Amino acid sequence: MNNHEMLSTGQTPISIDALERMLSNMTDAEIIDRHYNKDQKVTLLYIETLINPERLNESVIEPLNRGLHDSIYDAISSTKVSEISTMEEAEVALMRGCVILHDPSQSQWWSVLIESSLSRAIESSETETILYGPKDSFSEQLEQNITMIRRRLPLTTLKAERFTVGSTSKTPVVMMYIEGLTNPEFVDTARSKIIEIDFDLFLDSSHLAAFMEDHTHSVFPQYQQTDRPDTCAYALDIGKLTILVGNTPFALIAPITFFHLFQSPEDYINRWLVASFLRIIRYLSFFLSLILIPLYVALSTHHYQMIPMQILFVLLESRSKLPFSPFWEALLMLITLEIIKEASLRMPSKSGQTLGVIGGIVIGEATVSAGFSSTVLIVLVGISAIASFLVPNYLVTKSNTLIQFGFLVLSSFLGLLGIVLGIIGVLAHLNSLTSLKQPYFAPLAPFYWRGWMDVFIRGPLKYMKSRPEYLHPLQRWRYGRRR
Amino acid sequence: MKAISLYNKTSAFNGIYIVFLVNRLQMLYFVLLQATFLVYPHMIWAIVAVGALSQINLILVSKCFSSELLLKGYQGYVELFGKQGVRILAGIGLLFLIVKIIVTVLGYMEMVHYFVFPSMDSNWLILSVLLLGYYVAAKGMDNTIRYVSIVFLCTFWMIGLVFPFFFPPIASIYDLFPLVPTSWTFQSWKGVLLIWSSLSGPEYLLVLLPWLGKQQKSLKYLSIGNAISVAEYLLLFIAAILFFGSHYLDKSKFPVKSMIRYLQSPIFERIDILMVSLHIFLVVFAFSIFMLMFYGGLRIVMGRSLQPGKLTGFVISLIALTAVMIILNEWIWKGYTGTNMLLELQIWLGALTYLLVPSFFLLAIKRKERLKL
Amino acid sequence: MKRNYCVSLLVLSGVFILITGCAPFVENNRIEEIAPVIFWSIDQGEEGRLSICTLVPPLVKEKKRLLTQNVHLLKEGGKLFNLIYYRELKLGQLRMLLVNEEVAKQGLNSLINTLFIDPEVSPRLYLVIIKGDFEAYIQNQLDKQPNLDYFLYRMFKHYEEKHQGEMSIVNLHTFMKNLHTPLSVPFLPVFKAGKESFTYEGTAFFRHDAMIATASGIDDQIMQLLSNDHYLRLLPIPSLSVTVGHIRSKVRIKLADSSAAVNVELYGRVEEYRGDKDILDHAEATELNDQIQTYLEKHTLELLQKMQRWKVDPLEIGRHTMTPFTKPMSDEAWLEKWQQLKFDVNYDIDIQPFVEKK
Repeated sequence: MNNHEMLSTGQTPISIDALERMLSNMTDAEIIDRHYNKDQKVTLLYIETLINPERLNESVIEPLNRGLHDSIYDAISSTKVSEISTMEEAEVALMRGCVILHDPSQSQWWSVLIESSLSRAIESSETETILYGPKDSFSEQLEQNITMIRRRLPLTTLKAERFTVGSTSKTPVVMMYIEGLTNPEFVDTARSKIIEIDFDLFLDSSHLAAFMEDHTHSVFPQYQQTDRPDTCAYALDIGKLTILVGNTPFALIAPITFFHLFQSPEDYINRWLVASFLRIIRYLSFFLSLILIPLYVALSTHHYQMIPMQILFVLLESRSKLPFSPFWEALLMLITLEIIKEASLRMPSKSGQTLGVIGGIVIGEATVSAGFSSTVLIVLVGISAIASFLVPNYLVTKSNTLIQFGFLVLSSFLGLLGIVLGIIGVLAHLNSLTSLKQPYFAPLAPFYWRGWMDVFIRGPLKYMKSRPEYLHPLQRWRYGRRR
Repeated sequence: MKAISLYNKTSAFNGIYIVFLVNRLQMLYFVLLQATFLVYPHMIWAIVAVGALSQINLILVSKCFSSELLLKGYQGYVELFGKQGVRILAGIGLLFLIVKIIVTVLGYMEMVHYFVFPSMDSNWLILSVLLLGYYVAAKGMDNTIRYVSIVFLCTFWMIGLVFPFFFPPIASIYDLFPLVPTSWTFQSWKGVLLIWSSLSGPEYLLVLLPWLGKQQKSLKYLSIGNAISVAEYLLLFIAAILFFGSHYLDKSKFPVKSMIRYLQSPIFERIDILMVSLHIFLVVFAFSIFMLMFYGGLRIVMGRSLQPGKLTGFVISLIALTAVMIILNEWIWKGYTGTNMLLELQIWLGALTYLLVPSFFLLAIKRKERLKL
Repeated sequence: MKRNYCVSLLVLSGVFILITGCAPFVENNRIEEIAPVIFWSIDQGEEGRLSICTLVPPLVKEKKRLLTQNVHLLKEGGKLFNLIYYRELKLGQLRMLLVNEEVAKQGLNSLINTLFIDPEVSPRLYLVIIKGDFEAYIQNQLDKQPNLDYFLYRMFKHYEEKHQGEMSIVNLHTFMKNLHTPLSVPFLPVFKAGKESFTYEGTAFFRHDAMIATASGIDDQIMQLLSNDHYLRLLPIPSLSVTVGHIRSKVRIKLADSSAAVNVELYGRVEEYRGDKDILDHAEATELNDQIQTYLEKHTLELLQKMQRWKVDPLEIGRHTMTPFTKPMSDEAWLEKWQQLKFDVNYDIDIQPFVEKK
């Protein structure tokens, strides 16, 4: 490439003046002149806070001082050296943590990557904790995260395509998939979606997901966020793709189904009967957390006939002197509960205990004894709050609160019928959702009965011979010998 | 104006969908009334016989399934009947369809009104179900067809609720006697007609062919669906006879739901309210899929089926249908004679479509093939 | 274009509200504002009217009141209750209908139909015939047992579930089914209410919807064994100084032209014996066995003959004439035949011995 061509595409040729102008008013920018082999002058430009000073000494300054080689290029003992020629390239290189070297005699520009690795140790996941099984989790370091996946899937067919998104954040994004296994359609869709993104700031993978999802106005997450490398490896193996985003420990997995949100890595560690039981409990508690309070409102507002007399006894007694109607009572209690939940997340962990005391005793006990709420409702609110936490995916927990409020309103108008209508609506919505253009409610709709082995129950691993049909993997069987 | 893509064909459906569709469309509404019309134990044989007859009819349906012309949708129809012919036929079809939609929705909502909210204005109930149906329909044909598997899973298990009726103290073998007809009246013929009419529904699958795609073993799946329905009919009817006895049965207005009313679960004492509500799943689904057919047919009649669909048209037809529904409910359904008239009409029309549509299509296809040769 | 939608939607909803009226809900079922009554007791009132009474408030720890109304119509009573009580009375949890004997003798059809066609009332409503003054009993017990209505319901439920074999508990549906099915006879339990007591008397039989007669004491016990439950928890026979318990029965009925053979197999065990036989001895135990057998045979025959006189067939012997391939007998034809039947009652008792045979 010569300069004319570059200019014609709107790029500026690199020059020391322009660079100095660019780095003006940046206290952490350094421009140093050094001599090489007595007579040759070398200019080093870098941003102090982005590079590793020890490695700078080791691989650039010291070899230059020693001057054993003829050219500067030969002298630098680093693998990541590349020649640059435009200002744009220089800017990208500087911000990635490169040192730019200028050799005036040859009028050559080099960039050497010696970024400082500002990272924390590999810790265990806090959002998806498990008792048994691998404990490591992703950190904010993209390369390290890729390493963790590659260790688990040592395949050359495991491809990692790199993109940059965000006009200001320049966030690196790596899309991983197994070539010859993952359906290429997904890869193409995801690639084109990432390329199309035009926005400034991407601080977390959820920002990326927001731009990649098919349905913006849905409460359900269409990309699974996880910080567990084993979850990613499993997803890659059954034919999904994983998108890693720089500076966040959360990777995106797609395409997912609604049921993936209920699966925990621990399911594959427990005995299959136990795992199936736990999984059923999880679905049940999700359902309960949605339905319990609306049911209370429906029964106590419209269908007193349905309540068994023994329960009616309790209910009548506890409701007989309350100031609010069941709907308002439930609404107020639920909002209070949400406030407590939210507060316990935002509060520093040391004051968490105070919160527990206030939330549990003051609000629970006192509302009953003050006659604001019935004991039955407090019990139900408690059960549904705890039940909502059984879902492994925290984002679902949040979205089901919203649905619960919807059901609450419906149940106060139409009772049980309202709740059923609500369920029909939610299921219709789920049925029409897609994740990476793939049906979200598979294997129920579209119906693949083979996939049922790993939906509500977790079948024995031995019998899960094929990869899920709804992912249309190019290699169907998980056994090596059987094709 | 925004174009809408209600009739996109993106996903392929496997054979199991035919089973679901056939079975659920046959379990729609009439099955809930059947027992009152059949009454006598010997009508068990009538169910079996009509089920077998329906199976023969399904052979015709499956023959149509393998026709390339129907797979092509509108283009295929034009090839079969010519442009004008299609418009006229679609117009006739719409009449049948709208009666089916109206009777199903109004009839079922009457049941909801009776069991769940006796004091509420039934128009509100109808409106809420219609709105939900529109929401489902607005998701497009693809999604609506796919929805049937969820509907099936959510409603199929309800047949299990009749099992307590097969055990003592409710069940007594003497309630099933005599098993042979001791007299055969006009009423019995009407019962047979009702069974046939409630088995109708698979003929509408012919219109869905472009979405269902080419099926290899369509007869197998159609038969499975039909067999499940007939088995469910038998279970329900025998349970009803055991529960009521044939002399008390004809005094019950909604026999199936009254039976469920008798059951108690430890958590809810009156599960009829729950089950009546849950059955709405099916009604909403059927309504939305018929609604899509209706709008598609309307576009053919208006001669617009090749232009991209517009939201305005869809919304206007929804509003019109709602208005018709409410007005009919107000003027006709609420009165006793009106209900009977509409019900009778739909029994005849349903029986007629199931009898004639498959053979009519088959004849047309055969004629076309002969002309080609 | 957008505006068009808004306009059309507004017009539509306007028309809709005009047609239906604003408020979709007429009924208020909020549980703290209603009083779901558990029972209604119906007695003969003055001047051919009905006197109905119920206990309010049900299920709540408040001072109970007994409400009584003299009415022509059943639901009229429901309305009048609302006018004198501050909570609205609802029938959705109605579990018991206690009907006085005198009312039952005049026919229950109209009363039962009223409840049967009400979609709110569950078909599992227990029907009970009362001898004596139930109102006085309740009034008397108000302070001693405030939740009497609830405990009565629990008692009925207990004996209905799993067929405990002590009482013939019948619900609305069973009664209606028996009433409408030919060759079967509706029956209801009879309770005797005194000022201090409420006791099970026996079983009342109905011809059509009118009460005809009551079987009590040993007759009722045999009735439980032969038809209703086929099980008796305890059968005391004081004349033989023996109590037989856990009895299960198998009944075989053979109908001939003018006679019927009733063969009953009984399985049970002696729970108590206070006579002078040594029941640990095999021969003497067999003797006791024979005595019980004769006793039961005698009383069963008497019961059957009583039933013939009453012209009812609650054991549903007439149903044994039904076969899969013949036209069933009409009710009248059967009753004609029923009265002429000669019975041959045989008991085959298998009471477990106390010691193993050596």
